[in-house]
Amino acid sequence: MNLAVLCSTMRVQMKQSFARPMFRFCLIANPILNTILLYEMYRSAGEENFMAYVVLGAGLMGLWGCICFSSAGDINRERYSGTLALIFATPASFPGIILGKIIGNTLISLLTLGISLLTAVVLYQVPLTLGSPLYFLLALLAAVLSFVVISSMVACLLTLSRKTELYMNCIEIPINLLCGFAFPVSVLPGAVRGISRALSPTYAVELLRMSVWGVNDLAAFWNKLGILLGLTALYAVLSGLLYRRIDRRVRIAATLEVA
Amino acid sequence: MDTVIEVKELKRTYVTRRGFLKKEKRVVQAVDGISFEVRRGEIFGLLGQNGAGKTTTIKMLTTLLAPTAGTCKVLGCDTFGQEKQIRKRINFIFGGEMGVYRRLSARDNLRYFSNLYLIPRKERDVRIEKILKLVDLADRADDLAETYSKGMIQRLQIARGLINDPEILFMDEPTVGLDPLGARMLRDIIRRLKEQGKTVLLTTHNLAEVEELCDRLIIINKGKVVARGTPAEIKGCAQSLEDAYVKLIEGVSA
Repeated sequence: MNLAVLCSTMRVQMKQSFARPMFRFCLIANPILNTILLYEMYRSAGEENFMAYVVLGAGLMGLWGCICFSSAGDINRERYSGTLALIFATPASFPGIILGKIIGNTLISLLTLGISLLTAVVLYQVPLTLGSPLYFLLALLAAVLSFVVISSMVACLLTLSRKTELYMNCIEIPINLLCGFAFPVSVLPGAVRGISRALSPTYAVELLRMSVWGVNDLAAFWNKLGILLGLTALYAVLSGLLYRRIDRRVRIAATLEVA
Repeated sequence: MDTVIEVKELKRTYVTRRGFLKKEKRVVQAVDGISFEVRRGEIFGLLGQNGAGKTTTIKMLTTLLAPTAGTCKVLGCDTFGQEKQIRKRINFIFGGEMGVYRRLSARDNLRYFSNLYLIPRKERDVRIEKILKLVDLADRADDLAETYSKGMIQRLQIARGLINDPEILFMDEPTVGLDPLGARMLRDIIRRLKEQGKTVLLTTHNLAEVEELCDRLIIINKGKVVARGTPAEIKGCAQSLEDAYVKLIEGVSA
C-alpha cells in the first residue's frame, strides 16, 4: 500500500465530504439533535452520568451516521460521477484507495463527539466527568480502528451492488440499536444480544463508557479491549479476502459504473 | 511495427434479472466474437451505432470489464488476470461530463490522479503544468471544476487521460460536447501523440474525424465486425465515408 496514495486520498476525501451539505448536516446538526433527544430521555429516566449516555451516545450515533452516509455512500457517488471506474483502473491498490477514503471520513467524523460534548455543556450545563482519561483515549483509538475496519468491509460489499443507497439506510439505525450507542445492550432481548456480541462497536461503546465512569475493574477493561481488537482483526482479514474477490466480481458483474 | 492490442473472438454478455418474486433473466450479447489487432503508433478507429458494442469493447481493453469469452490482450498481457502490468502504461478518456471530481480544482484533480498513477512528486508538478497548458486550462487551474463549462470539463478529462504519459490512450467519443475549437485542439493532441509514437484507440460518431485521424478502423454493428480497413478502403467507390458507413449498416440491419 502506497503512503502517498493513502494520504492524498484522505485529503481529497475530507475536502469532498466537507463540501457536501448532507455531510455537514450529519456532522454538525445530527449530534446536536441527538444530544437534545438523549438528554431529555435520560433526564426523565433519572440517569445522572450524561457523559456516558448522552454525549457518548449522540456522538457515536453521529459518527456512525457520517460513516454510513459517507464511506458507504461515496461508493455510489463515485459510481454516478464516473470516477469509480477511473480510480479502480489506476495502478494504485483499490483497497488502499478505499481505506484512505474511510480514514479521511472517520477522522473528520470524530468531530461529532466534540459537538455533542459542546451541546451538552452549552445547552444544559450538565456536569461532565471523565473518570479515566488515559483509558478513554485508548478506548477511543481502538473504537476508531474498529470503525475504520467495519466501514472498509461495508464499502467493499457495496462496490458489488448498485443498491448502495438502500443498504446504507438499512444499516444506520440497526447498528445504533444493536451496539448500544444510545442505551445499554443489556436491555435488548437475549437472542438479539447475540448479534450485538458479534459486532465490534458494541465493545468499543462499552470500553468508552467504562472509562467515562472510571475503570475500576482493569481485568474487565483489558478483556473487552482484547475482544474488540480480536474482532477488528477478524473483520480486517475478512475485508482483505473480500477485496480479493470483488476485484474480479465487479468486472464480471459490471457494477463499477451505471449502465 | 509490433502489435499492442490483440482481440480475438471477443465476447461479452450482460445478464440482468428483473422482477421481485418471479425473476426474469435477460441476456444481452453486447460484443459477439469480434477480432482485430492494433499496431504500435497507430490511430485506430472503432465505429458503430449506439449500442453496437464499442464502449463495452473499450471497457474490456481498459481492464474495467471481464470478457465472457475470447482473447483480449493489451501490450501482450491479458486484460483480465494480468491487469496490473497494463494499468500503468495505458489511460482512457470517456466522453461527456463525467469522470472528474467537481468539488476539486483542475490542479487538485490532476495531482490526485498523478498520485494514483504513482508518479514521483518531483515529476508531478512539472507534468501537470505542461498538461494544463496543453489543454488550455492553465488560467482556471485553481478554480473548482464545478464552475467549469462542459468543454472545460471535457478538457480536464483529456488532461487526466494524459497524466501518466500512456503508451496507449483509449478514447470513447472524446469530442462529444466539445465546441469546434475544443474538438480541433483534441485532434491536434491526438496527432501529437501519434508523432510521439503513442497508440490511440478511438470511438466516435464523427466520420470526418475518422477520415482525418485514423490509420485503420473497424465498423461494428450489433456486436459483430461488419467492415475493416483504412478509411480509403472502407470508402471504396462511395462518395464519402458516411455514405459507405450508412450502406454497410443498413445492409447488415436489413
